[in-house]
Amino acid sequence: MLRGPLTKALPCARILSPVKTLSTSAINNEKFEVFIDDKKVMVDPGTTVLQAAAMVGVEIPRFCYHERLSVAGNCRMCLVEVEKSAKPVAACAMPVMKGWRVKTNSEMTRRAREGVMEFLLVNHPLDCPICDQGGECDLQDQSMAFGSDRSRFTDIDHSGKRAVEDKDIGPLVKTIMTRCIHCTRCIRFASEVAGVDDLGTTGRGSDMQVGTYVEKLFLSELSGNVIDLCPVGALTSKPYSFTARPWETRKTESVDVLDAVGSNIIVSTRTGEVLRILPRLNEDINEEWLADKGRFAYDGLKRQRLLTPFVRNCQGQLIATEWEDALIAVAQKLQTSEIAGVVGSLADAESMVALKDLLNRLGSEDLYTEYPFPLEGSGTDLRSSYLLNNKIARVEDADLVLLIGTNPRFEAPLFNARLRKGYLTNELDVGYIGPKVDLRYDYEHLGESTDLIKQLASGSHAFSKKLACAKKPLIVVGADLLSRPDGAAILALVQQLAAKVTTDANVSSEWKVLNVLQKAASQVAALDLGYKPGTASIRDKKPKVLFLLGSDEGTISRGDVGQDCFIIYQGHHGDHGASIADAILPGAAYTEKQGTYVNTEGRAQQTLTAVSPPGLAREDWKIIRALSEIIGEKLPYDTLLEIRDRLGQVAPHLIRYGELEEANYAEQATELAKGVSSNLSSEPVDVKQKNLEDYYMTDPVSRASGTMAKCIQAVHKQKQSKYYEEAVN
Amino acid sequence: MASQVVKSSIVGTKVRPLLSTTKGDARVRVLGLYKAWIRQATLIPHDYDIPKNEEQVKERIRSEFLKHKHVTDIRVIDMLVIKGQMELREVAALFKHKGQIMSYWKESIEPKPTDFISKFVSGSS
Repeated sequence: MLRGPLTKALPCARILSPVKTLSTSAINNEKFEVFIDDKKVMVDPGTTVLQAAAMVGVEIPRFCYHERLSVAGNCRMCLVEVEKSAKPVAACAMPVMKGWRVKTNSEMTRRAREGVMEFLLVNHPLDCPICDQGGECDLQDQSMAFGSDRSRFTDIDHSGKRAVEDKDIGPLVKTIMTRCIHCTRCIRFASEVAGVDDLGTTGRGSDMQVGTYVEKLFLSELSGNVIDLCPVGALTSKPYSFTARPWETRKTESVDVLDAVGSNIIVSTRTGEVLRILPRLNEDINEEWLADKGRFAYDGLKRQRLLTPFVRNCQGQLIATEWEDALIAVAQKLQTSEIAGVVGSLADAESMVALKDLLNRLGSEDLYTEYPFPLEGSGTDLRSSYLLNNKIARVEDADLVLLIGTNPRFEAPLFNARLRKGYLTNELDVGYIGPKVDLRYDYEHLGESTDLIKQLASGSHAFSKKLACAKKPLIVVGADLLSRPDGAAILALVQQLAAKVTTDANVSSEWKVLNVLQKAASQVAALDLGYKPGTASIRDKKPKVLFLLGSDEGTISRGDVGQDCFIIYQGHHGDHGASIADAILPGAAYTEKQGTYVNTEGRAQQTLTAVSPPGLAREDWKIIRALSEIIGEKLPYDTLLEIRDRLGQVAPHLIRYGELEEANYAEQATELAKGVSSNLSSEPVDVKQKNLEDYYMTDPVSRASGTMAKCIQAVHKQKQSKYYEEAVN
Repeated sequence: MASQVVKSSIVGTKVRPLLSTTKGDARVRVLGLYKAWIRQATLIPHDYDIPKNEEQVKERIRSEFLKHKHVTDIRVIDMLVIKGQMELREVAALFKHKGQIMSYWKESIEPKPTDFISKFVSGSS
């Protein structure tokens, strides 16, 4: 990837965001008036005709223009008439001038659109009935609205329309290149947002083709977004192909839980089956993108599912049972206070608070999460120690980011996309401590040693100067790094470093320097509810009963608790947790329940029920509630509203959906951390997910997904290819 | 001052009676309807060929009347009597089907689970 540094060096290539380009290039910032269809509008200098029209609610048809991508201006669909101009102008690329009178519905404009439409359709196949884009196709809609009502296309020579060979660009995106209208949105997305410069055009005129130049796959963790961007059916979803039409499906607004970003999604369902997952617009979190794991791992929701309760019989076999028998069998074992609970990465806050209440009533305080976090100093008492304090959206504003022991590209792809956006548009510099990984933007690699943090904190490292000069510096620490045995020392050092940077760089109090990037969707909610991080103390305590609530990462095994321990697993997939369990209670996956999740920045969001749980599976908190009644320790909530009241009692922000609860007391946390021993181990800083193949399977849902398996296969295949190049950084 | 005027005007209003003007009047109507039903009860098992005997039918009629024993509003009693008469006429004229008569006993309807555990186990929650 020699292109990276070059693009950054070139001033014209670096400025990519259309809005920013145009507004920064303006010299005087006085507003002036223009007229769109005789409606007066005051605009900033540099505003394009299309943006000015949008301000007064006039939508100009377009194919190539997209708000979040650079302006290409090659589809010509947005041609509009400007008074006293001989030719129509392309609205997406033309800045308005003072006093312009734009006519978006004049005879000239309409004829221009009709002409463009006709040229597009000359070489577009008439295969709408078998096209997956049918019903949500921009070309279909706009040809109905702006096209001619009759065709002049007569193929008297029977030479046929233009035909283009389909490309194999991977297991996620299906290409039917004959349908391509060369809007180049996919190319711009790949090079600007995803940072993978694999797509491009070859040929000119009617020979123009969009492709990958050489036979290679378009592999990126954000590749699925080109499907949404494609205005026609040239790029469609491979797993979803020929499945359903958009008007047949029911759409449920939900939240992705396969990483800790909490991307907003729409789950399309029909006949009680999840058919596809699309991103939902949320400017604060995912904009309009979605990472491939969240988008394509849904087929894992239908495989490896636990459909009935299982209880181990006297021969040691797991036998499928009814709920009555399973509840009674489990309840008999639960009559003890020597019980520990472990929650996994996909657990919702409702089930976590129910489990905590149940175990507390039984006299146990041993409730843990799977991912460790240092408990020395302030531990998890102060939220600022474990949140991404500065908000996901504000990363774009940063001018210097120091990443320590995290690979945001795979741990939180959309967070990484924000970093890349800042890198491209906002002169963001990135420093990196950890193994060399490919982040799709340039960074200054400081090294892999933990000593570097110490040097930075004391100010003896060369990078310290940069940190001190930065106006909006950020430090992002990976949750994995803090789960090491010397995590407390690292956190203390990073807190010191953040405090030092805050004072040195004279950062405003709203700008939070210290940020922790979580990996699991349940972690923040669990810590907010008072769960203890890490499973190490279970190994010392050897409880008689172990309750696993969807914990599948394998952080606790049968050997850790001994053969006598009765292990109960409650979850939705037959994965690691179910394999060691004595009793299995089938729960609901995130598409099947209304559950609360808190993302890494501390924003509570809820999933909604898109389909009902399969087989005898039940919503998770209800299983625990039912168990409690059988044991005789009845929990005081019967409905979702009641348990949410309880959630609100424990942590009020958990039921304020969509709102971000900011953390405070970062200074106090730093003070408390001063007593922590600063003995760092000599082990280098490492990240678990280094390459693309490590990204796809990280949780029970994606591990059960066939699509994700195909992705990993494709990455391996790509490595065999002669065109494969290792990332150079 | 104005509110007092309004108040007195409300107190002064009388509701228009449906049929009966006094409690005793209403009572006579109810007893009349009850007698008519009991007389009909001897015919119902035969007319509709249902697996119930005269005693069971009379018992069901009695329980239906007792279901409304708490009603004191004369207008409500009157309305119930009117509805009862309509029902009786339909039964007597054989307008109803066997199944409709049997539905008075609701034998085929399973009561829905109401407590948490039964709802959980049946999956209806």
